Amino acid sequence: MTSANAGSDPGAAAQAAPVSDTDLVTLLAGWLPQQRWYAAKQDPDAVVGITDRNLVAVAGEHDLHVTVEQVLIEVSGSHGRSQYQLWLAWQPEGTGAEEHAGAIGTAGGLSATDALLLPAVSRLLITTVADAAALGPVHAVREPDADIDITAHGMVIGAEQSNTSIVYGHSAILKMFRRLEPGPNPDAEVHRALAAAGCRHIAEPLGELIGPVGDEEAGRETTLGLLTRFYPNSAEGWAMALSSVRDLMAEGDLRADEVGGDFAAEAHRLGEAVAAVHADLAGAFGGRSADTDELRRILDDMAIEARSAAEQAPSLTQYLPGILAVFEQAAAHAASLQLQRVHGDLHLGQTLRTLTGWLVIDFEGEPAKPLAFRRSMQSPLKDIAGMLRSFDYAAHQPLVGGRPDAQHVFRAAEWAARNSTAFCDGYAAAAGTDPRQAGGLLRAFELDKAVYEVVYEHGHRPSWESIPLQAVSRLINAGGSL
Amino acid sequence: MTSSPAATASGSPLPEPDASSFAHARPIAGQAEWYKRAVFYEVLVRAFADSNGDGTGDLRGLIDKLDYLQWLGVDCLWLPPFYDSPLRDGGYDIADFRKVLPEFGTVEDFVALLDAAHARGIRVITDLVMNHTSDAHQWFQESRRDPQGPYGDYYVWRDDDTGYPDARVIFVDTEPSNWTFDPVRKQYYWHRFFSHQPDLNFENPAVGEAMIDTLRFWLDLGIDGFRLDAVPYLFEEEGTNGENLPKTHEFLKRCRKVIDDEYPHAVLLAEANQWPADVVEYYGDPAVGGDECHMCFHFPLMPRIFMAARRESRFPISEILAQTPAIPESAQWGIFLRNHDELTLEMVSDEDRDYMWAEYAKDPRMKANIGIRRRLAPLLEGDRNQIELFTAMLLSLPGSPVLYYGDEIGMGDNIWLGDRDGVRTPMQWTPDRNAGFSRCDPARLYLPAIMDPQYGFQTINVEAQMNSTASLLHWTRRMLEIRSRYAAFAIGEFTDLGGSNPTVLSYVRHFDGVGGLDGEGPHTVLCVNNLSRFPQPVELDLREHEGAIPVELTGGVQFPRIGELPYLLTLPGHGFYWFDISGEPEQQ
Ligand SMILES: Nc1ncnc2c1ncn2[C@@H]1O[C@H](COP(=O)(O)OP(=O)(O)O)[C@@H](O)[C@H]1O
Ligand SMILES: [Mg+2]
Repeated sequence: MTSANAGSDPGAAAQAAPVSDTDLVTLLAGWLPQQRWYAAKQDPDAVVGITDRNLVAVAGEHDLHVTVEQVLIEVSGSHGRSQYQLWLAWQPEGTGAEEHAGAIGTAGGLSATDALLLPAVSRLLITTVADAAALGPVHAVREPDADIDITAHGMVIGAEQSNTSIVYGHSAILKMFRRLEPGPNPDAEVHRALAAAGCRHIAEPLGELIGPVGDEEAGRETTLGLLTRFYPNSAEGWAMALSSVRDLMAEGDLRADEVGGDFAAEAHRLGEAVAAVHADLAGAFGGRSADTDELRRILDDMAIEARSAAEQAPSLTQYLPGILAVFEQAAAHAASLQLQRVHGDLHLGQTLRTLTGWLVIDFEGEPAKPLAFRRSMQSPLKDIAGMLRSFDYAAHQPLVGGRPDAQHVFRAAEWAARNSTAFCDGYAAAAGTDPRQAGGLLRAFELDKAVYEVVYEHGHRPSWESIPLQAVSRLINAGGSL
Repeated sequence: MTSSPAATASGSPLPEPDASSFAHARPIAGQAEWYKRAVFYEVLVRAFADSNGDGTGDLRGLIDKLDYLQWLGVDCLWLPPFYDSPLRDGGYDIADFRKVLPEFGTVEDFVALLDAAHARGIRVITDLVMNHTSDAHQWFQESRRDPQGPYGDYYVWRDDDTGYPDARVIFVDTEPSNWTFDPVRKQYYWHRFFSHQPDLNFENPAVGEAMIDTLRFWLDLGIDGFRLDAVPYLFEEEGTNGENLPKTHEFLKRCRKVIDDEYPHAVLLAEANQWPADVVEYYGDPAVGGDECHMCFHFPLMPRIFMAARRESRFPISEILAQTPAIPESAQWGIFLRNHDELTLEMVSDEDRDYMWAEYAKDPRMKANIGIRRRLAPLLEGDRNQIELFTAMLLSLPGSPVLYYGDEIGMGDNIWLGDRDGVRTPMQWTPDRNAGFSRCDPARLYLPAIMDPQYGFQTINVEAQMNSTASLLHWTRRMLEIRSRYAAFAIGEFTDLGGSNPTVLSYVRHFDGVGGLDGEGPHTVLCVNNLSRFPQPVELDLREHEGAIPVELTGGVQFPRIGELPYLLTLPGHGFYWFDISGEPEQQ
């Protein structure tokens, strides 16, 4: 079968897959591990299975020269099972597709490419959202007032992302989620709710692509792609923070509050923005207060995690008693804890400085956690702790791999403290309550996060391990926290 | 009470000189809307060149230096006030609108300056203060002496000091009120600035006529336009803050009509130290292409440029440009890095003031830089790379750039002279006595020439820099020359490109081919500025220009063709690039 034949009879083609499942699995075996978003790269036991295949467009339709198939795969391995979304473009072998970016391989006389990289496919996707149309079982919704420019050219940005995002000119960005779970996608859900609340600190949502996630419970759908307004003249908070740190490190005798690249005023406004997002999240999804038992349980979980972390990362062992003491102390002092929907994975890389202020992006929540957890009520202190840890990383990142130098180590700590303080001040000013007044809880959340980071760095980037480890040591020494 | 000799007993108007009593300068070959393309050069007559050896610069001295200014490549001189004045406010306190300050010369000298400048293709504009006069002006003397006479109603007189309570006092530290009691007339007079500068009463039609006649006087002599000072304050009205009132705009429309009908080559530049969104009011009605002033200064841009370099972030500049509204067809911004009279941050929107103060308050050095008047070179610690970067931005951001005399050679300032005079020292021409500015005894100079080791005239002077093609002076001249070749820098559409690196400011200026000089086709320039002192890479989305081969403008070197992928450039610390990205160069 060739795609040209398929094009002449779309009805039949919708059933006919370009190549067999077995051939497809073989084809993907070499390609998947090279993808940034593929979590099972290092897992020798990973098994890939096809769960669903949808022919969404065939060559000849929609000005397409390729046949486009949406494929859901399930990967099971040592980390459990997860489901991924792929968009494949098929065309006859020998048309040069093999040399293009995104080429996957050939099977049965056909070449496969990552379809999201093809301009014709990115155009098809945005038109589908703009028209609130359908592509086979994939259908789209468009936000009522959305201004969508379908003539803007699509380009996939930076490979270093956990999903695949297509930027359309200067107007919109379509994030195609790679890992899918049945049920509401928190990124789309939160964007929509915050937009309805009039929040000024998120990218305005424009529409969604929705489709079935075909596992046992047939008929369950989720968001496949989220289209939001794009901010062309923006920069990630992480990049801004790093240029500030770099500026400080280049000075011999100037303090963090004296150098030109001072970030504190930005950090202050960032704190205000995060507080505003939290307030709108509480407004949109509600909130409640955790009772003493629940609070105790949260801290107990932290303690359990810490014990298991110390087993995985030996460097933690000497700090374990101190860590547990901090959690214990927080449990004894903190009266209650306010719970609500939060960002869940907040750090400087999830913030964008635009011409009109700070945005918070990417509301998917903590990547490794199941959907139910990511949509659950949690403490906003967790997000704040995430930002404080991020300031600490930004400050120390330039020192990684270099020779330790007392002056730079001192400056790094100074930068992190100055900007963390400014962030919390900004947060407190906008929220009306100071997160540092939460009876040691902020420190517990910070510590919990740092412990997790030690384990992560131990396994992935050993030369970075000292950054969170020093934070652990600082946090368990009284007065070491903010 | 004795009447002053000039006052007429009969109460008939004072005689004032007429333009027909003087020779007129020959006009300059016409170029419509020349001000949109021009590079302005602010020159203080007092500070530039002294022709008669009395220690003070004068108009004849300036005439002698026109060849230099022509060589440098500036298009229009802006002269702060040179009118007769008691000089209690740097000449902005005008005692006679039709007379030149004697130490500067005469009206005849001024006509000679206009004529010689025009012969070199250089235009000349000057400040005109319409809101008020000096209390030494005959009009005021007559007004206080004879309330019933022809000038009795030229100023704003009241029996008490309670009027216009909502108008703020601008010089709070020296003026307790906007009303001052005059012991002669025994009434209070209104003044928005100093008490020795009474406000003219624009409600009196004769005052408007007198000011328009003042415009005509100089325009007939050949002047190319005016910077209108303190324009927001012309009219006052109960229950308002007395700023930007509709009647003020009506009067400016009257002035513009006189210009359009009678002197179509001339330009009006408004001094309104306000937020761009408010300043655009002074361009007038966009539907008719603008019917008030041709130009306004873009005040907030300057501190933003300094802030961006200090913060190593493009955002301060990108933000302010994003908030700058479109301007009418005939309009142009005036932009500057430094001038004789520093701006303040008072006139900004509340939100932006909060933002600026959050940034400035945390940074003592930035606060100092904005409040104190300093020259460009010392502000940038004499760093040649930064001086070039700042100048390159000044020459390529939207608007007509205004250079401040001496900055082209990197002159310094003298902080011991106080913040006003520190940046008004003699122009440094040579390493000889008095910097070649005057042949007088050094003790007679109006201000001492700068003599410190770094910026003194022994080191920094025109003569030395003329002799070295690597000098800042030659560099500045080359940049002006390049700028003049590309209409895009002056009138091209501005697009901020953003880009992957927040420390790099990149923008495109696109000229669509409309309104240029003969033979000027559409073209596009790309400007990339590294605000950081460290080398930086930047990836730019240049897909709109795919296929073009960037040609670097200072050296003509071709860069790799723009493809569909982000365009990667690397810049040295504080480096910048100007590229022509109009298309593929013709094959040789
Ligand atoms: N609305 C937007 N405007 C501009 N850039 C954006 C926007 N949304 C995302 N980006 C850029 O894309 C990157 C990835 O976005 P994100 O939502 O975090 O996706 P991922 O889940 O793949 O990390 C961000 O770090 C940011 O640089
Ligand atoms: Mg992200």
